[in-house]
This record gives sequence, structure tokens and C-alpha cells, in this order.
Amino acid sequence: MTVADSPLARRNPTVKFALLVVVSLALLFVFEPVTPAVLYGIALVAVAASSGIRPRLLLVGHLPFVGVAVGLLLVNALSRPGTEIMRLGLLRVTAEGVEVGAALGFRTLVIGVLALGFVVSTDGVRLMTSLHQHARLGLRFTYAVLAGYRTLEELPREWQLIRHAHAVRTRAARGHPLGDVRAFARAAFALLVVSLRRGERLAMALESRGLGLAPRTIWRPVALTGTDVVFAAGSLLVLATVFALTLPR
Amino acid sequence: MTLVSLRDVSVAFPRRGTGVLHGIALEIAPGERMLVIGGSGSGKSTLLQLVTGVIPHSVTAQVEGTVTVSGVDTRTTSVVDLSRTVAVLAQDPASGICLPTVEEEIALPLENRGVDPTAISGLIDAALCSAGVAHLRTRRTTRLSGGEGQRVALAAALAAGPALLLLDEPTSMLDSEGVAAVRDAIASSVARYAPAVVLVEHRLDEFAGHAGLAALPERTIVLGAAGTLAADGPTREVLADHARMLTAAGCWLPIGNELDAVFGTVGGLESPAVRAGLTSLARRSTADEAADDPGPGRGTTLLAATALSVSRTRRPRRSRAPYTPVLSGVDLDLHAGQVVALLGANGSGKSTLLLTLAGLLPAAAGAVTGERPGMVFQNPEHQFVAHTVSDEVGYGLPPGSGSLVARLLDSHGLAHLADQSPHRLSGGEKRRVSLAAMLAHGRGTLLADEPTFGLDRRATISVITALRGAARDGAAVLFSSHDLRTVATLADRAVVVADGRMIANGPVFEVLRDAAVLESAHLGLPPLVRWLLENAGSDAGVLRALRALDAEVPVEAVAAS
Repeated sequence: MTVADSPLARRNPTVKFALLVVVSLALLFVFEPVTPAVLYGIALVAVAASSGIRPRLLLVGHLPFVGVAVGLLLVNALSRPGTEIMRLGLLRVTAEGVEVGAALGFRTLVIGVLALGFVVSTDGVRLMTSLHQHARLGLRFTYAVLAGYRTLEELPREWQLIRHAHAVRTRAARGHPLGDVRAFARAAFALLVVSLRRGERLAMALESRGLGLAPRTIWRPVALTGTDVVFAAGSLLVLATVFALTLPR
Repeated sequence: MTLVSLRDVSVAFPRRGTGVLHGIALEIAPGERMLVIGGSGSGKSTLLQLVTGVIPHSVTAQVEGTVTVSGVDTRTTSVVDLSRTVAVLAQDPASGICLPTVEEEIALPLENRGVDPTAISGLIDAALCSAGVAHLRTRRTTRLSGGEGQRVALAAALAAGPALLLLDEPTSMLDSEGVAAVRDAIASSVARYAPAVVLVEHRLDEFAGHAGLAALPERTIVLGAAGTLAADGPTREVLADHARMLTAAGCWLPIGNELDAVFGTVGGLESPAVRAGLTSLARRSTADEAADDPGPGRGTTLLAATALSVSRTRRPRRSRAPYTPVLSGVDLDLHAGQVVALLGANGSGKSTLLLTLAGLLPAAAGAVTGERPGMVFQNPEHQFVAHTVSDEVGYGLPPGSGSLVARLLDSHGLAHLADQSPHRLSGGEKRRVSLAAMLAHGRGTLLADEPTFGLDRRATISVITALRGAARDGAAVLFSSHDLRTVATLADRAVVVADGRMIANGPVFEVLRDAAVLESAHLGLPPLVRWLLENAGSDAGVLRALRALDAEVPVEAVAAS
């Protein structure tokens, strides 16, 4: 996936990643719905305005998070003990349950929309270069992640091929549940062997390209500018303000 | 000054009984180009791994003697440090490329060697340009064809100007167009960067192309069966002097050398003595050939495709975009006792057709009738399900099939490997295991996707023998291939696909004589097959001559009974 230019795409990947982590951690301690709801509103507008994400992708990208959020709301509303506000047959809905469920649901949506903004505005190689430059992550780790990602992209095709290749080996086992499980395990083993081989060869290729030599240069270093500092400070200020205004004392 | 020096080097691997290399003494000068040949298992890859430092740093082995590269001992220098001098282009383009875009891939070795960042962009262009792929600079690496990927990997290997380039069968996984493109890229890149070159290659004719021996490195070394240095000298002389030994070891040789060795003369296909010899092979009907084949006995139809269309993807339900299957309107009958070759360029739909005939993909239109066939895939590893060779061959058989398994192991020359893991075998052995395991089920129809791909000559002949044996036992066989010498030797009929349809279906020699059909499928006749088709007098004569030439190679017992 190529990353289109946008104000968010121009920001430093490590800064964006760190902010995503900070927001997620801060919300871990919030169990009332107003704070995450307000944060969700702000995050939605900010991502839509700054990341250049297409509205359709923004909508479709929300689906898994909305699913989880609704699930959290329902489970908590129906299972948490507390003041009953409604009764549905055998099930009782509690006020405490609705409150905690909504808090957790909105938390999911905040993290979801921020993650969407991060993913559409960040190129993998730039992220890894930046994590090496600014977060002191080891080169062997960052390039292993990139090379591993390439292997991962090949996996679905490889899996299909192996399943086909194994399907002609057996005539009888089809439809038998135990046979299916075993066939699955065999194919998984074959995939493991093939992937390990490929990983080994990729590691050799990286070594033969001189990964690990010193001193080394960076062709297109990722910038960490004053704007990134302002961006980070501004985001943290918004977060702190929302917390200060909405959290019950 | 020498660039690489091996002094009395022997290598042995733990858990494998015998050593792989014995007492190798060798020097390579800066800028020198050298070809390494030898039979399967003669230690060619081991030699390359010694120079890169992979042995002893990443692969454990007992090494005696010393290997120095650029004056430093490889035992005390890491693989990464050696990479300042040594660059590698490996077989498989898919695992030689590590990053998401082409330019980042080329930038990596430059960054690692500390090149000034402002100079990197220009160096990327220069490297891509000399490999003939300047237009791919911003391409995603997942979107590269095999030939393109290999040229990008070549550019990455040479971008930083290493003193030594190791080429490990760089074209063995490509189709003929890819081979030509990579061959040209290597020639122009080596001319520009002038590294010393060590080339390991076994399809010398395909690698050299029309230029013949002139396109090969000037110096050749031969590794003998015992892992010794059997020859070291100018390429022309070494190939001429050792052609018999190399043929016996199962190597592919340039056709001129192969024929000179068989007929004890000089001059290849142009020589009157060779021509007279081939003509007499074509005419002569020896006893073993009479016993070999009763001719294409055309039995009952075992598998039939009628008006078949094939596609990897299902017809989209709602999209209004026109839907074109990769192949359509295929009518094809496979008969008991017949071997049919499936020919076509890469991407023409051969594999998709085979998968559909095997019942693994639903037909996009039309129908396949007949008992469900067996199929062997291009990469035998994809099909392995067991942990030993004998379990592999016996997989899915009813209890009490021990004697059948033993017979198959024996007839495919696998008995001595029965307890080994199939994943640890050589390429030729893996192929024999996958064929034996499929033949064990005695299914009526056998499909094979590129069964001789990447194999040395001995292993190729084993496959030919096994598939002929299956047909003699009454199976219908359909195999795809790019190698027209193998096709001419093995097949009774040939089917050619191109431009989304079947453009030929007839007796194999009739199809091979049809220049227009070969042209549209991007197939080129090897000079030997072309000469025989023009001069052997009869189709049976062509076949006799080809089989007689194959009989020069001693092969393990691989007659399917």
C-alpha cells in the first residue's frame, strides 16, 4: 500500500506511534463514557481532516471496532451487577453496566480511529527507519520486520498452493472431520517448513547486502522537526484538557 | 595479487558420512571470471558458501585448510564483513529481495557501506540502468516477475561495487524470456562494475544463448564426484576434455560438447562426423530400443475436457466488468497409455488448466469428465506430508501395502533413502519421491506441472523414464514443460496454449514442426531437436536418436514396473 501525501503523513512516524500509545494507556484508567466519547469525536474529526483518508475507507475501517464496541457495551450492560434500569425477560440491564460498557466501547473506537489514521498515513519503511533513528530500535530488528512482512504477503498464495498440493494426495479423507483436522495440521507443517526456508534465505540475503556494517548512512533520513514537537505538544494538551474538563472529580 | 585463495581445503558435514570437498586448491585473480561445473552433490554450493563465509559461520562444518578473501581469513571474518568484497545472486528471486520497493532494495547495500546519502540516488539509477531495469525504480517488489526480480537482485548485489560476484544458478528458475533478460543484465552489469565472477550453472546452453561458449566465463573448474578438483583451465578445453566424465555425472553440457563426446569428434552439430553419427542413431534400431516402447498405443479415454474455461478467480457476482478466463474453449482427451505435453509461455494458463483438470479449481465453464487424476506439483516440497521417504510413498495406502511401497522405493532408486526426511534430499531425489508417492495410488490419469524444472540431466532422464513407465502401465499422462528436448523425448502428443485458447493439439513432432505455433507460444527449438526434425528422416528416427543420446547417461534403476 502506498501512502498519499497529507498533513498527517508528513509527521514523524515515531511521534505518531508514541501518541497512539499514550492515548491508549491514558484511557486504560477511564471507566466513564463522557471522556472517551469526547475524545472519539475530536479524533474522528482530526483524522478525517488531516490524514486524507477516503470517507468510504474511514467507514469500512470502523466496522471491526464498532463490532467490538457494541459487544463490550452489551456484555457489560447485561452482566454487571448494580442498579436495575430495564428488564428484558430474564436479563437485567444495570446503570453501572451501561456506563462501564459505553466507556469501554468508546475507548475501542478512539483507539480504532487513531490506528486507522496512523496506518493510512505511515509508510512501513519510513516507520522502521524512524524507529531506528528516533527510538534507537536495532537495525537487525527493523529490517527483519520489513523482510518478514514480505514473507507474510506471500503466505496466502503459498497456503492455497499447499492445500491444493495436499488435496490430490488423499482420496478418502474428505468430509471426515478428524481427517480434515489432520490434513490442516499437515498443510500447516508444510507451510512452516517452506516459510522457515524462505526466512533463512532472506536472512542470508540481508547479510550479503552488508546489513550490520558500521559506519552506515541513511539515504532518506526521517525528519524530526519543530512542527512534530508542536504536533505532539498540541495533541497532549488536547488530551489533558479533555481529561480535566470531563473526568468527575 | 589474488582475490580469493583456497589452500588445500576439505569440508565435511557432521551427520553426513563422507566429505563434500577434498583438497581443493584454487586462486581467483581480481576481475577474473570462472565457471564451476560438476554433478549433483559434487560440492558446488559448498564452494560458494566457503567464499561467502556462510561456512563455517552460519552452517556448521569441519573445514580443513584456509580460505582467504581479499587477504583475510574467512574463519576469523564474519559474513557481514566479507560482504564488503563478496556479493551474491542466488537462485530464487523471491527470497533474494527483502524490501517493499525496488529503490529501497538497491539503497540498502549502499547505506550499509556508508555511502554519502547525496550520492545514493545516482548510484541506484546506475545499477538499475546496467541491469536494464531503470523503469522499475519505484515499483513494489511484490509486483515483479521472476526475470525482473532477478535483475533487481543483481543491481542490488552490484550497486556498491563489490570485488567479487557469486552467481548461484541465477537463471535456473526462469522461463526462456526471463533467462535471456537476466543473461543480458549480467553481461552489461559485469562489464560496467568489472567484478571477478564465479558462476555456478548447469544449463549452460540456455545460459549462454546464441553466443554459445563465448558467453561463458573464460575459465572453468570441474568438481569431480569425490569432491576433488577434477579440472581447471580455459573453458573450451575443459569442456572438450571432460565432456564424457560430465555426461556420465549427469550434467547438462553445451550441445556441441555433448555430441563431440558421444561421437569422439570435434565441431558439434556442424561436424560431418556428428551428423553421420546422429543419422545412424536415428536409423539403427537396437534391441533395447525395440524393447523400450511399443509405440503410442492409444487406449480408452480416461479424462476428457469439453469446452472447458479455466480461471483462478471466480466470476464476480455483481461487477459489470468483462470477465475473461485465462483459457477458454479447451477440448482435450487424455488416453490410456499416452503421454501428452502441455506447452505455452509463462502466464498462459498451463498451471491453472492442470489444477482445473485435477478437480482442485472449479471449471469456469464447460466440464471435466473422468476419474479424479493424481497430480505432482512443480515444487515437490509443497506436496510432502510425512517425515520419512517410505511414509511419504506409503501415505494414504490401505494397511498391508508394505510390499508395494518397497517395490516403488526400489524401482525409483529410493531404497537407500527410505528413512530420511523427504525435505533433506537433493532436487532430483525429491522429484522421484513425489512421483513414486503419486504412482503408488495407481490412478488412471497423472498430471505433472513442470516435472523436470531445475533438474540436472540425470534427474531429468529419471523423470522421463518414470512417466513413460506409468504410460506403459496404462496411465494417461499430461505434463507441462518449457524444455522441448524433454518434450520430444517423452511425449506422444503435444497441446499448445497461447492467447487464452488452445492453438495446437496433435502428434508431438507435427506440433514441433509448426513454426507459427511455436512462435505464438514463445517457444524456441533447441538446435539438436531442430536438426533432427529436419534430417532424421522419420519421426521414429528423431525419437530413436534422442533416446540413444539419453542412454549415454548412466541412471539409477528407475523403471516403473
